[in-house]
Amino acid sequence: MNRRLAIKQVLIFAGAMALLPSCLREEGKVSIQLQHLDISATQEKLLEEIAELIIPKTNTPGAKDLKLHLFVLKMLDDCYDKKEQESFLKGLQAFEGLAGAELKEKLIEANSGKPGLAKEVGDFYAIMKSRTIGGYLNSKYVMSNLVIWELVPGRYNGYFPVKTA
Amino acid sequence: MSKKQHTYDAIVIGSGISGGWAAKEFTEKGLKTLVLERGRDVKHLIDYPTTNKYPYEFEHRGELTLAIRKENPVVSKCYAFREDAMHFFVKDKEHPYVQEKPFDWIRGYQVGGKSLLWARQTQRWSDFDFEGPLRDDFAVDWPIRHKDLDSWYSYVEQFAGISGNKDGLAELPDGDFLPAFPLNAVEDYFKKTLKEKYTGRHVISSRCAHLSQPRQVHFDQGRGKCQNRNLCQRGCPFGGYFSSNASTLPWAAKTGNLTLKPFSVVESVIYDEKLGKASGVRVVDTNTKEVTEYFAKVIFVNAAAINTNLILLNSTSSRFPNGLGNDSGVLGKYVAFHNYSARISAEYEGLKEFTTDGRNPSDGGYIPRFRNLLKQETDFKRGYAAGFSAYRSPERDTSGMGTDLKSQLLNKHLGPWQVGSHMMGETIPKKSNYVKLDKDQKDQWGIPLLRISVDYDDNDAKMKKDYLEQMTEMFTEAGFKNIKPNDGGQAPGLDIHEMGGARMGHDPKTSVLNKWNQLHDCKNVFVTDGACMTSTSTQNPSLTYMALTARAVDYAVQQMKKGEL
Repeated sequence: MNRRLAIKQVLIFAGAMALLPSCLREEGKVSIQLQHLDISATQEKLLEEIAELIIPKTNTPGAKDLKLHLFVLKMLDDCYDKKEQESFLKGLQAFEGLAGAELKEKLIEANSGKPGLAKEVGDFYAIMKSRTIGGYLNSKYVMSNLVIWELVPGRYNGYFPVKTA
Repeated sequence: MSKKQHTYDAIVIGSGISGGWAAKEFTEKGLKTLVLERGRDVKHLIDYPTTNKYPYEFEHRGELTLAIRKENPVVSKCYAFREDAMHFFVKDKEHPYVQEKPFDWIRGYQVGGKSLLWARQTQRWSDFDFEGPLRDDFAVDWPIRHKDLDSWYSYVEQFAGISGNKDGLAELPDGDFLPAFPLNAVEDYFKKTLKEKYTGRHVISSRCAHLSQPRQVHFDQGRGKCQNRNLCQRGCPFGGYFSSNASTLPWAAKTGNLTLKPFSVVESVIYDEKLGKASGVRVVDTNTKEVTEYFAKVIFVNAAAINTNLILLNSTSSRFPNGLGNDSGVLGKYVAFHNYSARISAEYEGLKEFTTDGRNPSDGGYIPRFRNLLKQETDFKRGYAAGFSAYRSPERDTSGMGTDLKSQLLNKHLGPWQVGSHMMGETIPKKSNYVKLDKDQKDQWGIPLLRISVDYDDNDAKMKKDYLEQMTEMFTEAGFKNIKPNDGGQAPGLDIHEMGGARMGHDPKTSVLNKWNQLHDCKNVFVTDGACMTSTSTQNPSLTYMALTARAVDYAVQQMKKGEL
């Protein structure tokens, strides 16, 4: 085996190793690395659906396209305490097994703060919604295309005219 | 290494805003100068890892993780300690201290110190400030007045680059300014309202250390025009704001007279009993813990107010058993700060034909002190300055979900103007507000821990009440609605304007430093950082430290030439 081929094979092998965990996953684990949370792929899928219902795709990308549910998980994992995380997961249970119109209906209930809803459903939804919104507004897509954030404005105008009416 | 190899003309302890100035002045005057910095090196441009990142490039979009907040209950309270700049702050565990009373000690241990992180507000002091203690009978009389600093203020303003207007106010002397960043429509409106309805209350464009229009001296420093990024705490790739890193230190290095040693914490200043003056400093390498002594004819202590107190208190000898230059016994006492514990917000429905575009690095408006200015008029001493700024953002109703929510998040329809102000109150230096060395506990470098005992008093409470009342009244006069006073409070320290402990004064019996920032009792040691402050007044203090430093170096070098030091 010549040296070049050997190196190439090593590289291919390394690439395969990097891919392996996701290839082997069945019910498996979530697709991002989490320190504290134990989230199944099914739960991940559900969170993805919920995020999409909060911020859907229109003529511009929605939560699914921007993977906002992964941002929610990242923030939940790193920025909340155990109690808040547990409450989030407990609240999530109320949505498990639901899909389509049923899921949407349950979310609308949570969003309207319908009386009688379990406290953890409210806790779950508060985090889910606020972090989905935060992830959306701070996403590369939105900051580059819809609500532009400038790294180097180079100007300040304190009397910038606004069209009224 | 021999003593000779460790000998310099001047030693400067600390590389922050005042240490950087001392380094520049000494090296320009031809003195071989050693600058000792306890933290790591931070090179301009090279060591600003986050400076060009977009918000979405931060793992947590700027937010602190729970683990970081839990490990750092003190520094996490600082507004600038966020994902983009947390590498420039001292973490709580790195250098512990004892809080006899709650005190949030915010520190930046690196080359450049807190000059990388400061809020860049640069208002001069007037004689209403310097004459405060004498007129209102507290602390001791300042041994200087504005006339002593006037030319030095101009000197540092020209080099650092200060943007501002010549406002013609006796209480806030004009300086040598670059063009001001303008007030916006509502800031201007509030300015006009105060002018019409009050006597002696003004809103001016905040004067700030940003290059609105650089001059040759700034280009010579390798700095360029401020680009209105308002990401200053990350370090500026344009050198748009003044820091030791962008300005004084590279300038000093160019002379060939600068030796900069990072990772070098000063344990004490060495006093030579035979010579009757200081001979050098004892330094601990923060990594290896190795102790080295460095020698010089003159020593400037610019370790930042509280650490300067620590060094002097820890510099004991048979001549000075209670700390270097502490014959008076006041060293470490009369520590004061700025009362930033109240703010107020409101809305304004008018002027909807305008908004702002781009960003204003000056932070908007500044209201110089008006309370008790010409004469005593309240039941508390002194007064407060205040920030004032206004902005608009899109009106977003986030109560819905789905397409409705999404269109709300993207709508560009602007809500009413939001206005806000925060107080910057003068606090009265008191003997009971002090720092001292812990008798038993030491830090990882073998230096005693500090005990900090600093608190608000009744005067601060009355002043805060007055600030909120007066601002509420002024906001009401301006037709602002939904006025929300907030005295949520914060511990002293979080203002990051701690001052005093080694105050200047005429009398060696009641002060530590003379009018040249020189220890009364050990003439070749100078203190020109916040520790020297006799009183605090209301202005952000850094500009005054810069001017005091340049003046003190000039004096020290003259004295050296005369053979007096």
